[in-house]
Amino acid sequence: MSVDSRRKTTNIVALGLSVLATAVGLFFLAAILVTLVIKGFSAISPTLFIENTPPPGDDGGLLNAIFGSLAMTSVAIAVATPIGILAGTYLSEYSRGSRLAEVAKFINDILLSAPSIIIGLFVYTVLVVPFGHFSAWAGAAALGLIALPVINRTTQDMLALVPSALREAAAALGTPRWKTMTFVIYRAARSGILTGVLLAIARITGETAPLLFTSLSNQFWSTNLGAPMANLPVVIFQFALSPYDDWQKLAWGGALLITVAILAINIIARALAGKQQS
Amino acid sequence: MAVTSEVFDAAERTAQGKARRSAIEDRAFYLLTLVSAIFVVVMLLGVMVSLIVGAWPALEKFGLGFVWQQRWSPVKEIFGALAPIYGTLITSIIAMIIGIPVSFGIAIFLTEICPPALRRPIGVAIELLAGIPSIIYGLWGFFFLAPFLAANVQPFLDATLAHIPVVGLLFVDSGSGLNLMTAGIILAIMVLPFIASITRDVFLTVPVLLRESAYGMGMTTWEVVRHIVIPYTRIGLVGGIMLGLGRALGETMAVTFVIGNSYVIHPSLLKPATTISASIANEFTEATSGLYTSSLIALGLVLFVITFAVLAIAKWLLVRSDVK
Repeated sequence: MSVDSRRKTTNIVALGLSVLATAVGLFFLAAILVTLVIKGFSAISPTLFIENTPPPGDDGGLLNAIFGSLAMTSVAIAVATPIGILAGTYLSEYSRGSRLAEVAKFINDILLSAPSIIIGLFVYTVLVVPFGHFSAWAGAAALGLIALPVINRTTQDMLALVPSALREAAAALGTPRWKTMTFVIYRAARSGILTGVLLAIARITGETAPLLFTSLSNQFWSTNLGAPMANLPVVIFQFALSPYDDWQKLAWGGALLITVAILAINIIARALAGKQQS
Repeated sequence: MAVTSEVFDAAERTAQGKARRSAIEDRAFYLLTLVSAIFVVVMLLGVMVSLIVGAWPALEKFGLGFVWQQRWSPVKEIFGALAPIYGTLITSIIAMIIGIPVSFGIAIFLTEICPPALRRPIGVAIELLAGIPSIIYGLWGFFFLAPFLAANVQPFLDATLAHIPVVGLLFVDSGSGLNLMTAGIILAIMVLPFIASITRDVFLTVPVLLRESAYGMGMTTWEVVRHIVIPYTRIGLVGGIMLGLGRALGETMAVTFVIGNSYVIHPSLLKPATTISASIANEFTEATSGLYTSSLIALGLVLFVITFAVLAIAKWLLVRSDVK
């Protein structure tokens, strides 16, 4: 075999393998989604949204878990958003060359991919042990700590995209710096920052591990943030591992709800980010 | 002209007042941003301190031997982390052995082979898949992959490979699909979109000029990838892999469903085992004694140290290769 034909063969084999890899990868990912849709759809019914989690062998829905997830996510995002945006502002606008900023950026990126179960352990020792019981506040705190680095990082990236001409123009008019930030720069980066918030929501919507020992779960309807509260991920976990068919079916329904919500939020976030960059 | 000068004075005073006020406001806003940035740093320190304090009773009792002691007995109050550490490492290694080549294949496909019209849709699909929460992967693994492997793949591996000396020990079937291999495969599927999208971004940092010149010299596509793209991007590639590894090591839900929860270290990949995160997730709320809880937190501390090191290296490598 000549050198050339050997090179061609190697090329074809290598590229064939990479096409195969893509096919295999996409096949598994598609398999997961298809199963989820099939199993999940059969569980979706109006009862899912109007009844609470049932005792074994009974009919029921996921209302309390849906409410709990929404409540804890809302509290987490409401607290993490301002802190994340302000921290991102410092790191992107005020900290040229500062040592602290280098460290803070590095630490933020570590927190961004740190195992979420460790955040759960931290919140457990800080907010569960001292009060002696699990609570939705603790769950929201854990989720907030996971959302914070996401918002912080996106704010940094998005502020960096705002042209400095805007800052200079505002400075030339004698605008104080904080007014430049709030009235000019944030406004220019608005959809980008919103993208960060949406990505953070998508990230924490499916988080299970940090909730296992912070908010735990609750079989009943509860709006008390000081007490354990049901939430979709933990309910899915508990119901899936149970031996009851009804519970397993609800777990699939909940899994589909979460996945659809996350995909929708991600798609909106991308559309917004695209708008920011153009 | 007293009147005019009075007007001027007043105007000057207002101007000064205004300037002073906005200086104070500026300062306040600056401090607010500074405090928020420091808050992030303090959180990480808080995580470290709380883990060390929480783990202290266990570390005091068992010393450093905690890390290589195998026995884990809640009844006798003897706790050693070796089995969970072993499980964490083995599942992550399996995930990397499967995940890295497949992700590289996907990245090569996306950057070199794929028709431009499909490039964006497939790329976006993979990025969206990276956002699916791990509990979904765990659910699927528990209800579909584990039974499938137990029924079809494991008996075959046991029948064909288990007779080979030494290597065969890895494939002694346990009859259950809840084991190290299943967990490794689920992890691989989970980190796949993650590593693939980073690898693609890294590949795209190769200057077009370099790539085109290589093609101009008559290189085949594979040769361009092998001799130009991979050498040029190797630091970033390792960074991307480390980021995926950090994720696999700390992953909880995808593994907890399918690992089988056994503290016995067995050479076979087809036997139940446990990982650090699975142990914490399964036992934390059941831990009755202080020492038990403390030992689980000590496991968390071990995981934190491992992932922190891996992520720090990943971050350092990715910064060096200019990937955003």
